[in-house]
Amino acid sequence: MTETKRRVGVYVCHCGGNISDVIDVQKVVDGVANIEDVVVARREMFMCSDPGQNLIAEDIAAHNLDRVVVAACSPSLHEATFRGTLKRSGLNPYLYEHVNIREQASWCHKDDPEGGTRKATRLVAAGIAKARNLVPLDPVRVPVTRAVAVVGGGIAGLRSAIDLAKSSFEVHVIERAADLGGHLARPGRVYPTDEPAQDLLTGLLAQARSLPGLTLHTETELVASTGYLGNFRLTLQGPSGEPRELTVGSIVLATGFEHYQPSLGELGFGMSDRVVTLPDFIERLDPRGPTGGQIVKDGKPVQRVVFIHCVGSRQLEGVHVPPEGGRLYEHCSRVCCTTALFASIELARKFPQVDIFDVYQDIRTYGRGQEDIYEAAARAGVTFFRVAGDAPPTVEIDASGAITVRLVDLLTFNEPIEMPVDLVVLVTGMIPRDITPLIEMFKLPRSPDGFLQEVHPKLRPVEVCVDGLFIAGACQAPMDVAEAAASASAASAKAACLLGGDVISLDPFVASIQAELCDGCGLCLAECVYVKALTRAEGETVPVVNTALCKGCGMCAAVCPHEAITVRGWEIKQYDAMVDAIVATGGHP
Amino acid sequence: MSMSLATDFRKDVVRLGAGDLTACMNCGSCTATCALSEGTAAFPRKTIRYLQIGAKGQIEGSLEPWLCYYCGDCSVSCPREANPGETMMAARRWLTARYDWTGLSRWMYRSHWVELGALLAVAAVVLALFLIPSGFGFRALSSHPEALDTVRLDLFASRTFVHIGDLILAFVLSTLLLSNAARMVYLAMRGRRVPIRAWIRPVTEFVVHGLTQRRWRDCDNDDSRFNWLRHILLVSGYGTMFVLVVVFLNPFQVEDTAWHWTSLLGYYATLVLLAASFTILSDRIRKRTQMHAFSHFTDWLFPILLALTSLTGIVLHLLRLMDLAMPTYVAYVIHLCVAVPMLAVEVPFGKWAHLLYRPLAMYLEAVRKRAAAEA
Repeated sequence: MTETKRRVGVYVCHCGGNISDVIDVQKVVDGVANIEDVVVARREMFMCSDPGQNLIAEDIAAHNLDRVVVAACSPSLHEATFRGTLKRSGLNPYLYEHVNIREQASWCHKDDPEGGTRKATRLVAAGIAKARNLVPLDPVRVPVTRAVAVVGGGIAGLRSAIDLAKSSFEVHVIERAADLGGHLARPGRVYPTDEPAQDLLTGLLAQARSLPGLTLHTETELVASTGYLGNFRLTLQGPSGEPRELTVGSIVLATGFEHYQPSLGELGFGMSDRVVTLPDFIERLDPRGPTGGQIVKDGKPVQRVVFIHCVGSRQLEGVHVPPEGGRLYEHCSRVCCTTALFASIELARKFPQVDIFDVYQDIRTYGRGQEDIYEAAARAGVTFFRVAGDAPPTVEIDASGAITVRLVDLLTFNEPIEMPVDLVVLVTGMIPRDITPLIEMFKLPRSPDGFLQEVHPKLRPVEVCVDGLFIAGACQAPMDVAEAAASASAASAKAACLLGGDVISLDPFVASIQAELCDGCGLCLAECVYVKALTRAEGETVPVVNTALCKGCGMCAAVCPHEAITVRGWEIKQYDAMVDAIVATGGHP
Repeated sequence: MSMSLATDFRKDVVRLGAGDLTACMNCGSCTATCALSEGTAAFPRKTIRYLQIGAKGQIEGSLEPWLCYYCGDCSVSCPREANPGETMMAARRWLTARYDWTGLSRWMYRSHWVELGALLAVAAVVLALFLIPSGFGFRALSSHPEALDTVRLDLFASRTFVHIGDLILAFVLSTLLLSNAARMVYLAMRGRRVPIRAWIRPVTEFVVHGLTQRRWRDCDNDDSRFNWLRHILLVSGYGTMFVLVVVFLNPFQVEDTAWHWTSLLGYYATLVLLAASFTILSDRIRKRTQMHAFSHFTDWLFPILLALTSLTGIVLHLLRLMDLAMPTYVAYVIHLCVAVPMLAVEVPFGKWAHLLYRPLAMYLEAVRKRAAAEA
C-alpha cells in the first residue's frame, strides 16, 4: 500500500507494571517486529523516562528511523512528550504515533491477559500502519493582537483586567451597567475578612484607574464578534449610541451571576415587607444601607429573626414549582451558607436581644475558616433547625401581619416546630445570568445548571471550548468573592500565556482540501458547525478552511463524496491502513 | 402538637448552670458515649436539644434529667465542649424549681443571697426558740440552777418539746416535698392513659432505686463506681441520723454514756457524713472528676452544711462528755442552727429533694413503659 519504504521504530512500554502485569510485552514486541518497514522493536520499563526517550533518540540516529510508534499510556498523558523526543532528534514531531495499550488493553482486560496481549498486538500493528502513512505537518500559526477584552466589571472582571494590565497587555473592561463593581457595589460586609464590600471595590477601582492600558467602558455592551483566537474583532455599543470596533487577541468572560428572586408567595415572599432576601437583608444591616443599619418592625427593633436556607437552590422536582417558563435550580449555591451565617453573627453582634433561628438542609461551610464562622454563629446564639429537602418549611402570614414559620425538625426527632417570628430572611441562591446574546455569539457551552462550562474542571478549569475565550468568576458556577478573584487571576494568566508571543501555535490537525478533487457540491459547508471555519467566497467553487477556526472534527471529511476534503493527521487512507492491519494481525498463536 | 420555642426558658436554664447550649451542634456524641443510653433513645441529646431550642413544655414533663447520674463521659467526649453533663445537672435544678409550687426554690436557685438569707432566717427562728420561751432554752436554766453545774440537756431542751419540734418539722417538710413530688407526677404523666395495673407493679423500682441507686452503677467508669459507693455510705449515715433524731430521740439524747447503742450508731453516721462531705468538698475544689468540674453554689452549700452539722454535732458530744454545761448548751443551739435550716431549705426546695425525685423518676419511667406495653 505504501510506495515508499519507511523506517519505523516500535517501543512497547511496561509502564512500571501497569501494562506488563497483564500484557506480555515481549509477545507484543515479537508480534510486530516482523511487520514491513519495522526496523527496531523494543520494550522498556518506562518509555517516558530519560533512558526511554534516549533510547528512541539513539535509535533514530543509529537506524535512521523516520517514523516512531510508542505503545504505552493514554496519548493525553505522553503524546506530547514523545513528539518532543522526535523534534529534539531532528524529526518532524508529527511523524509519531501513540498507541494506548494501558487504558485500552491492560487495565480493561485484567481477567484475560492472553486476549489482552493479542489486542495490544493488534493495536500496535494498527499504529504502525498509520505511522507508515504519516506525513510531516507544521503547526498552524496565528498572529496575535496583544489586547484583551474583559466582559463584565465586577470583582472577577476587575481582578482579571488588573492582572492583565499589570502584565502590560492592553485591556478593555466592558460593563453593561453605569457603575462598576456588580454585586460588590452594594452595601454590606464580606467574609472572611469582615470588611465592607465597597471598600474592597474602591481599592480595586483605584488600582484599575491607575494602570495605563486599562480602559473601563461603562454602559457598554458587546454586540458582535468576528474573527478568531488572536484576532477577535468586536463591536461595542456604548452610551453615545455609535458602535465602536475593537480588536483583541483574547476575551475574558466575567459576566457574573444573578440572585435568585423568589416568586410571589414563595415562603411568604412579597406578602409582607418582613420577608426579605438575604442580599436585601445584608444591605439593611449596613449603616450605609437603605435603613441605616436598623432592622425594625413597627418602628421597634425586631425580636425574632429566622433565616431559611436553600431558597432557589437544591430545588426538587415535585417539591418546588418553577415559575411560568422558568426552571428549577437543582444546584447548591455554595456561598449562601457562609454568607447567611456571617450575616447572622453581625445581626447578633449589633442586636444582642434578637433571637436568631436558622433553618437549613445541610450546612456547607466548605472553605478555609468557614467552619469557624459556623461555630461562631452557633456561639453567638443562633439556634439551628434542620429540614429535609423534600419537606421545606412553610411561612404563614395572618391578617394582622403576624408571621409564623412551621417546619419538621430533623434535629428534634422529626417533631413539628412552630416559630412566630418578626422577620424572615430567605437565603437565596446564585443563578446563572441571562447572557443569551453572548452565548449565541460565541456558541458557548453551558452545563446543565445553566452556568458556563469549562473544558475540564481540573485540567482546563478556566477555558471554554472556544479558543481564545476564558471564563472568570461566577459566570462559571456559584463562587464567593475570594474564589471569583482566584478564578479571574487564573483566567488572566491563561490569557497572558496565550498572547505572550507574536504568534500562537495550534495543532495542525485541521481540514485541508485537494482542490482538483472538489466539485463544489457544498455538502461540507452545510455540515461544518464552527463559525466561519469553512467558507466559500461568492462565485468560487472550492471552499476555504480557516485553520485558526477549524477544530478538525472531521464532519466535512465524512460527507465529502470525493475525499477531496480530509483532516490532516487523520486521513482516510491512514484509517484504511489501520483497519487492514487489524484484520491482518491475528495476534500470535 | 407543635412545639413552640421559649428562648427565655433557655436563658433560665443557663442561669442555673447549664453548659454552653449554643455550642451544641447536635452531633450526638453525648448519646454515643453515654453508658445509660439504651437502644435508639437520644439520651441525653434529647434533653439537651429541648433545652437548646427552649422547648419548655417538653422539659417540664421529662424524666430524663433524673435518669442521668452524671458520669461525665458525655462532657469529656463533646467535640464542642458544650458540657452536656452539667446541662443535665442544670435541668435537674430547673425541674426541682419547677415542681416547687411555692416558688421559693426558683428564687433560691437563682440567687445564692436568697438561699443564704433563707438559711439565716430559719437559723434565727431556731435561735429565738431557745432565747424567748421561759420554760425552754436559756431562760429555763434560771429555774434549774443545777443544770449549770452539770450537763442536764433535758432541762435545757426538753426532749418532749424537741421531739414535737422534730415531728412538726418532719410534717411540714414532707408535706412540701410530697406536694412537689405530686406536681412532678402530674407534669410527667399528664395526657397519658395509664391503667391501674401499670401503676402498681413498678413500685419495686421505686424501693430498689431509692435504697441502692442501682442505675448509677451502670455508669461505665471507675470514678462513677467510687462516687456511687461514697454516696451510698452517705445515704446510710444520713438515714441512720434521721432515724435517730426522728424516731429514737429519747435514747439518742441520753446524757451519760458514750457507749449507748444510739451513740455508737451516731458515731457511725457522723463518721460517714464527715468523711463523705469533706471528700466531696475536696473533690469539688480539686475538680477531681468530670462530675466535680463545675460547681453551682448549691453544690457547695449542701456538703458544707453537712460538714458543719457533723462538726457541730461532734463538738456538742465532746462537750457533753466533758460535762461542760454552758458550752454544751451553746453548742447544742449552734448545732440546731445549722442542721434545721439545712433540712428546711434543702429538703423541699433544694438539692436534697433528689432523694425522692430520682427513685420516683425511675418508677414513673417504668410505669410509662408498662403502660406503653399494655396499650
